[in-house]
Amino acid sequence: MSTLYFEDIEEGDELPAIDLFLSKDQVRQYARAANMYFPRFTDDEGARAEGLPGMIAPGVMSMGLLARMISDWNPAAAITRIGTTFRSPVLPDRHIHLRGAVTQKIAADHTAECDIWMENDDGERWVIGTATVLLPTKA
Amino acid sequence: MALEFDRSMLGQIFDETSFPPITKEEILDFSAALGEANPLYTNEAAAAKGPYGSLVAPPTFVTKLRAKKFTPEHLPKLGKVGFDGGRDLEISAPVRPGDALTMLSTIHDIYEKTGRTGSMYFIVIRNEVRNQKGEKVAVIDHRIMQR
Repeated sequence: MSTLYFEDIEEGDELPAIDLFLSKDQVRQYARAANMYFPRFTDDEGARAEGLPGMIAPGVMSMGLLARMISDWNPAAAITRIGTTFRSPVLPDRHIHLRGAVTQKIAADHTAECDIWMENDDGERWVIGTATVLLPTKA
Repeated sequence: MALEFDRSMLGQIFDETSFPPITKEEILDFSAALGEANPLYTNEAAAAKGPYGSLVAPPTFVTKLRAKKFTPEHLPKLGKVGFDGGRDLEISAPVRPGDALTMLSTIHDIYEKTGRTGSMYFIVIRNEVRNQKGEKVAVIDHRIMQR
């Protein structure tokens, strides 16, 4: 983890990917910390009773993980805007892959636009989004 | 099918919720649950020497705030099933331990979109979060999808 300045980044830069096995316990830990301890996020039976195939991760957890990817990439980047679309339910006990890339640098306010997404092993994008980050400058 | 609803409900505040002061533990638990390693969100001593001068919450922390009423009583029922379509977050100020946050909720927009599987309706609930100094902390847009 080290600071990246506005001058250090280029359009097209890929953010370092995070590949992780999303366990049910991790989803429960998030549900507890995020005040979302509801059956659909904590156990398969409870989720099935709500018509879901099994327990799912909260959409905002995916958003939080994508924000963490930005934070891992550059701990000095301040996210000023982040938007995510939840395209399909995120089922735990699977590998997920968090990805991103810098799509635009805006010199006037030292910000960068990024594409961010979460995909599964088959490359299906379960969550897609964009973020604006404010970067420190060397000047 | 034309989308019909009472447009006067847009922008009207239907909920105001005040939260107890945010604790350091809450921030640390939230950071840990996401696997955050950034000292700004995880290490009180290191964060005190950083740009904010204190521990701050990760940017999506505000999504854990629960309004007393998530939707107004007379939310138009446009479809059979509802899904969490997504979230848009604008962040203006950091959340620190001790902050007393207040959240105002409005219906920001209602619109129709035609996709692969037919017509879908989106209801956008907007939460505006302010701190005890009256500073705007964040605007959270929930896109609820109905079809």
